[in-house]
Amino acid sequence: MSSHPLALIAEITHSCPLHCVYCSNPIEMTSRKSELSTAEWVRVFQEAAQLGVLHLHLTGGEPLARPDLVELVAAAQKAGLYTNLITSGLGLAEARLQQLVSAGLDHLQLSFQDSRADSANWIAGAKAQSHKIELAHAIRKHSLAFTVNLVVHRQNLDHLDEMIRFIEDLAPDRMEIANAQYYGWALANRAALMPTRSQVERSVAIIAEAEKRLAGRIRIDSVVPDYYAQYPKACMGGWGRRLMLIDPAGKALPCHAAGVIPGLAFDSVRDHSLRWLWDESPAFRRFRGEDWMPEPCRSCDRRAEDFGGCRCQAMLLTGDPNATDPACSKAPAHRLIEDVLQAGSTDSAQPVSASSFVQLQQQTLPLWTYRVNPK
Amino acid sequence: MAPPADTSQPHFAPGCRWGGSETERMVLFPEGAIKIEGTGRRILEACDGERTFLDIVEELQANFSASDPARIRADVSSFLESLQQKRIIDY
Repeated sequence: MSSHPLALIAEITHSCPLHCVYCSNPIEMTSRKSELSTAEWVRVFQEAAQLGVLHLHLTGGEPLARPDLVELVAAAQKAGLYTNLITSGLGLAEARLQQLVSAGLDHLQLSFQDSRADSANWIAGAKAQSHKIELAHAIRKHSLAFTVNLVVHRQNLDHLDEMIRFIEDLAPDRMEIANAQYYGWALANRAALMPTRSQVERSVAIIAEAEKRLAGRIRIDSVVPDYYAQYPKACMGGWGRRLMLIDPAGKALPCHAAGVIPGLAFDSVRDHSLRWLWDESPAFRRFRGEDWMPEPCRSCDRRAEDFGGCRCQAMLLTGDPNATDPACSKAPAHRLIEDVLQAGSTDSAQPVSASSFVQLQQQTLPLWTYRVNPK
Repeated sequence: MAPPADTSQPHFAPGCRWGGSETERMVLFPEGAIKIEGTGRRILEACDGERTFLDIVEELQANFSASDPARIRADVSSFLESLQQKRIIDY
């Protein structure tokens, strides 16, 4: 086990102009008035760097919704952290982009929902596509690493090839093609988002072809849906092993979704040092190591590779956070995953066409729930 | 992409840079970091966007005069090409 986190995920606000149906934020979000102040975040970044953290990921919600973002980036840079901004791009114009780069931003990840404007706006529940395209061209004129993120699912996987070519034209250094992960809003909308087996198989072949074609120009990182995998994902690289997440109010969590685990209390950077939170806080110790593991994990050869999978997924699907992740084919509860895939294989939730964005939203409201904003 | 040419001037790709401490030098890049030691570190420190691939190779050949110069050249070339594929180095 690493004696310190390697990366810090700072959810600096839960506020967001988009309403993506697969948002990774918890359903219960932090209100704006309880957010950490600029000075509190600066202290967190300094402590993180002293602890040995290398990468800082500024995310949200939409981090641009924080008026002090440039100041936060400058402080992170001064502390020595490699600083990455994960953003929808809404609220970013040329002047502020220039300020962020000057403040030392190393890497910017811009999210896209689709290559097709109507579909992208439909997923995001907001008209964002044209601004994002304009912004992508502006970003490329600056010297920083540029990644385009794309979340894929049942509604857009059928034109993955078109989406990859669309991203290619934006000329990023990297593209991330990630299947939706079923927590929070995505779990609520799972039936409309879960791809079919044939979609997944085709997408793997399309991505492999694109990797070959784009080698040396654009690096592709992809995430397959763990529902279709044989073994579970090594969620967060193992509980309390590599990553620490600080939520907008300063609570330290081992992952985005840890709030769903009952009885787990999250201590705050307002009361404790990062060192204490990492080493001593009950939330980080809860599933660290192997002592908590049930069978078949405890005697499994893969336990040091996937660490029993995801605790939050175990909780959400089986009601028991100690259970083997049901995504694992050896899990006693694997049937739950098979049932979901079985149900999805017959249902044909196809993309809906409509002449306007508003019409599209109205027609598809029974299909899913849009993410709301904190009060 | 091809291996570097003699006149190529290798340098860090956008968003890639040094980090860590003097005793434990790391190369930081999007979503990752690698610890670089020994000859690898020496090569990367020479990738300043000014020196050419040939300059870097000749410097190493002079420093390791007991080794086969052709082998050194091939090793530096494949090292830089592998980092270019990872989008850490451009040339």
